[in-house]
Amino acid sequence: MVRHPDSPVTGRATVLRRLARWCLAPLPAPPVALRRGPMRPGSFRSRLRSTRLTSQLGTALGVAFGVCFVTGLLSHLIQHPPGWFWWPSRPVGLYRVTQGLHVATGLASVPLLGAKLWSVYPRLFSWPPARSMAHAAERAGTGVLVAATLFLLVSGLLNISRWYAPMPFFFTAGHYWVAWLAVGGLLVHIGVQLPAVRAALTRPVREPRQDGLSRRTLLGGVAAASGLITLTTVGQTVRPLTGLAVLAPRHPGTGPQGLPVNRTADGAGVRAAALDPAYRLRVTGPDRSVSLDLAALDGLPQYTADLPIACVEGWSATARWTGVRLGDVAALVGADPRRSTAIVESLQVGGRYRACTVPPEHVRDPLTLVALRVGGEPLHLDHGYPARLIAPNRPGVLQTKWISQITVRESR
Amino acid sequence: MRTRTVLVVGGCLLMAYAVVGAATDADLTPGGVLFFLAAVLVGHDVVWMAAVLAVGAALTRVPLRHRPKVRIAAITAAAVVVVGLPLALGFGRSADNASALPLSYGRNLVAVLLGIAGTTLLACVLPTRPGRAAAQDRKKSARPSGRGPVPPGR
Repeated sequence: MVRHPDSPVTGRATVLRRLARWCLAPLPAPPVALRRGPMRPGSFRSRLRSTRLTSQLGTALGVAFGVCFVTGLLSHLIQHPPGWFWWPSRPVGLYRVTQGLHVATGLASVPLLGAKLWSVYPRLFSWPPARSMAHAAERAGTGVLVAATLFLLVSGLLNISRWYAPMPFFFTAGHYWVAWLAVGGLLVHIGVQLPAVRAALTRPVREPRQDGLSRRTLLGGVAAASGLITLTTVGQTVRPLTGLAVLAPRHPGTGPQGLPVNRTADGAGVRAAALDPAYRLRVTGPDRSVSLDLAALDGLPQYTADLPIACVEGWSATARWTGVRLGDVAALVGADPRRSTAIVESLQVGGRYRACTVPPEHVRDPLTLVALRVGGEPLHLDHGYPARLIAPNRPGVLQTKWISQITVRESR
Repeated sequence: MRTRTVLVVGGCLLMAYAVVGAATDADLTPGGVLFFLAAVLVGHDVVWMAAVLAVGAALTRVPLRHRPKVRIAAITAAAVVVVGLPLALGFGRSADNASALPLSYGRNLVAVLLGIAGTTLLACVLPTRPGRAAAQDRKKSARPSGRGPVPPGR
């Protein structure tokens, strides 16, 4: 028996073939009278736009967004660790590097995204708007990708500027989920455009000079803009460049005791409780509970560690902290610090970051302290007086201030 | 083709994950996210791009020999303004936290823009090295004019 090549093999194959045919079937062309404004041919005259320019900008932007996504996802996992996730306590400054990179790369992406969207702007007005259902879906997907990338950069900028009013959603959650949307859209976009990008990047082309501005000069200009933005902001985490950081939202040395503050005692509503002479730190463990006043905390062995506060907003600053090892506090209540988890709670009554969990690798690290002093002085109220957590390689939001309670649990 | 299929299918799955995750996240109001997505898209495609194209058209009046430098300066200045403006507006300042936004960002932004303008002016005024000018002329004459290929995307 000879089977005709187009004859249906199975029911499923037929359905798929019909679906593909429906997706690719040409849609009726809209009336030509609707082709107005920027949709008219020749509306965009710059000959600088080319597939090669778009591909090069897109490649650079893809790398930048990849770095942002990986570092951002890492920060999310550290703050909301699933069971399988493990984050070490060393190197001490690893998080300050990854989160500094996240914000610096995001800022450097601003001119890249601007140039990329300029290079493809005429496609927004291509005619006919949709040649087929597949083409319409591809354009809708690109629209989602563009909206998501703009969302990430604009919301990130507003966040480091601490300007939340224009964002009608909780920034952290919105930024996180839209990052997944952007990465998904980016993969689809790469999948669709891969042949065009490959061809544009591999075939040498002779390009016209438009008004004296070449593609290379434009790329150089975009790189210069990215470089200038980096130079004027990255000093918020790279200390040698602090003097140049005229547009950095934070300065590492500016703040009480030479350290920036994210949440103040008044903002957290803990001033009265923190200054109360009846303050006690309650520690609960598997064997017993203890209640320690400041004198009792001072009476425990004191250790000093040089550790950075590394904020999720991309700034960081190192200070010399002195206090009691968290491992020693765990041992006080009969727990083995080598395999203990500590839940550290603040005097704050509410708020997303009033408590944090310290995993065993941080509890047993000798640099993890219940800090009582910074730079040799008692902690400033805004830095967490009377006692705060300071641990290596953790985001600032997990360095709980104004500690009121520590609960130690032994892991199995 | 297989790579492309994997990319497209994988990308669609990630987008679906994002939508389901955002819709079920108790900390998130999906309506607010959708509104912001639409606002930044319309703000960019309608307002920002119209301004960029208008400035680009205005720059065609700049003498041809200075135009590339002035265009590069305009691109750099636009990018710096996007980053610096939310800081300069200062809506994120807080009365009880002097360490947040501690600088005079309006003044600094103007200083950076003046720096860009000054550098551009110098680049335009200083004479181009004869060897470089000749090389540019050779390059120019070697390149044919004509419309470039259609860019991908959008």
